[in-house]
Amino acid sequence: MTYRQQQRIKRICWVISLSIVAIPFVFPFLWMVSSGFKSANEIFGQPSLLPDVWRWRNFVEVFEYQPFARQYFNSIYIALVVTGLTLIVSSLAGYALARIRFAGSVLLVVFLLSALMVPEEVTIIPNFFLIRWLGLTDTHVPLILLPVFGPQGVVATFLMRQYFMALPKDLEDAGELDGLSRIGIWWRIALPLSRPALAAVAIITFLHSWNLFLEPLVFLSSLEKFTLPLALGNFTDPYGMPLWHLQLAATSLAVVPVIIVYVIAQRQIVESFAMTGVKG
Amino acid sequence: MAGLTLNNVTKKFGAVSVIKGVDLEVNDGDFVVFVGPSGCGKSTLLRVISGLEDVSGGEIRIGDRLVNDVQAARRGVAMVFQSYALYPHLTVEQNMGFGLKVRKVKPADIKTRVREAAATLKLEDFLERYPRELSGGQRQRVAIGRAIVSDPAIFLFDEPLSNLDAELRVHMRAEIAALHQRLGNTMIYVTHDQIEAMTLADRIVILRDGQIEQVGSPRELYSHPKNVFVAQFIGSPKMNVVEAASLSAVSEIGGDLAGVVSVGMRPEHLTVTQPTDGLFRGRVSLSEYTGAGSLLHVEVPGSGTFLVLQNGPEAAETGAEIGLSIEPENVHRFDANGLRIPSSNSLKGET
Ligand SMILES: Nc1ncnc2c1ncn2[C@@H]1O[C@H](COP(=O)(O)OP(=O)(O)OP(=O)(O)O)[C@@H](O)[C@H]1O
Ligand SMILES: [Mg+2]
Repeated sequence: MTYRQQQRIKRICWVISLSIVAIPFVFPFLWMVSSGFKSANEIFGQPSLLPDVWRWRNFVEVFEYQPFARQYFNSIYIALVVTGLTLIVSSLAGYALARIRFAGSVLLVVFLLSALMVPEEVTIIPNFFLIRWLGLTDTHVPLILLPVFGPQGVVATFLMRQYFMALPKDLEDAGELDGLSRIGIWWRIALPLSRPALAAVAIITFLHSWNLFLEPLVFLSSLEKFTLPLALGNFTDPYGMPLWHLQLAATSLAVVPVIIVYVIAQRQIVESFAMTGVKG
Repeated sequence: MAGLTLNNVTKKFGAVSVIKGVDLEVNDGDFVVFVGPSGCGKSTLLRVISGLEDVSGGEIRIGDRLVNDVQAARRGVAMVFQSYALYPHLTVEQNMGFGLKVRKVKPADIKTRVREAAATLKLEDFLERYPRELSGGQRQRVAIGRAIVSDPAIFLFDEPLSNLDAELRVHMRAEIAALHQRLGNTMIYVTHDQIEAMTLADRIVILRDGQIEQVGSPRELYSHPKNVFVAQFIGSPKMNVVEAASLSAVSEIGGDLAGVVSVGMRPEHLTVTQPTDGLFRGRVSLSEYTGAGSLLHVEVPGSGTFLVLQNGPEAAETGAEIGLSIEPENVHRFDANGLRIPSSNSLKGET
């Protein structure tokens, strides 16, 4: 066997074994999408990968059953606002913690990180009382503020801080000599060089907001304020039993933005690694 | 353009004193080189001058202007970093024009000035490229170009050539010298390369441990070092310094020996003779052939190892007994504190 052949066989083995490993991950997804096109009866009938009859009506009923379009929009705009705010706040705070020397800056980082150890379930009740006292229950404000300034924001800040600390200090000195202010250095030097970190933060923040369940459950009560995770559990018959065909059709729809975000952010990460090439 | 005056400048990092009272007068248009051992505070002093570090005490004047509290960008200085510090996300043209853009100069003017600087540095063909697409030498030229474009009163260089290979370093050294000739700006240059310091400088400032040991022209420092430290620091290979008492030949060299504790002889001033002819003798323990000549390590009984530069193709062999001699005016005498004693024998060339 030549070296090339060996490499080929190795490759084929890899592809086969990875495909096998992928089945448990891919199969439920396929099942979900295909069941979204089935009738409730067919879902529980003879198992099949593709529906016998494609019921496109499911996707119309999803929108008729409850204000699903509105709920979908809620989720999108909340996730976008949270992501945007988190990027701004975490990169500003991360930059300050990485580069500005002030009394207790390290202590502050330790303090923030230690707050991560408190589970959300513990803080949700005091948070609820706080939000109610502010009169913000059944609004989207807590769904935006809590992730930005809560544990998610801390994780994002920490990520950004670590990334900023690794950027060459000389670049910022050069920026200072070129006449940039602190904010200018952050905006025109540190941020453009941090695209991989920003993209990573954007992904995890968007996903976290998109999947947020406990907070909407606790804070929201009116149907048209619901976000997707709440709405998805709401496709039930009058006896509270799930309407599987609608639920699965709606869930399939809910996955679309996640895929889009992944594709965009991943390209950002790859591109910016090639782009910045931060070296001497 | 302007000169620079440092008046008892000090710099502390927390409790650690790094610059311990530096007085220096740099004339307008001078090329001044800071040299000194690693960690002596060269970079720190440069950064204090640039304004990137706050000064802890004393006065810094650029021209007549007291700049202690003036921010870096307003001091009229430009800095070239060892790491080049080019913005990776900007093209060469954007890199060079960045400072002007920040200062809101008109785009048309920026373009003209960048083109001018690029022409000076032969960078016209690279303006559209990103720094990662350039060689080390080209990046260094861009970094210098960026400094030129901002039209500073004073250029500051922090070991700008130390990331380049030997050949390119020689070439860039010549370019920097030519640049200084053409622009005539004051330039302050940090290096620990002897040759760079000697060839480029109008005046060399020797720093040790946050203080100035001596300031002078390369010639002065070479022939009239103030003390043992400077004598050994300037010149390569470094000067042989031995206890006067250990070398009986010292008395033969003549001159006033009162108070002389040690004597120094440069490797290039020692000449190899027959064992019987020299002022003193020793055994060659190592002979390093360098092409133009050889560097001999000579064991002199009682005094230790002497470095000797022997010119020409002939070289004493390892293990050979040789004699060494030196012209009396080339012998440096130092007192108990390491200070050089000017002597009647070595007045030649004194200014
Ligand atoms: N930001 C800082 N905080 C604390 N100490 C510092 C800081 N910058 C420099 N020092 C200390 O100051 C001293 C002088 O450093 P500096 O970088 O000026 O040396 P240098 O002469 O440029 O050395 P080299 O030739 O190695 O570049 C060193 O002992 C260094 O540890
Ligand atoms: Mg240095």
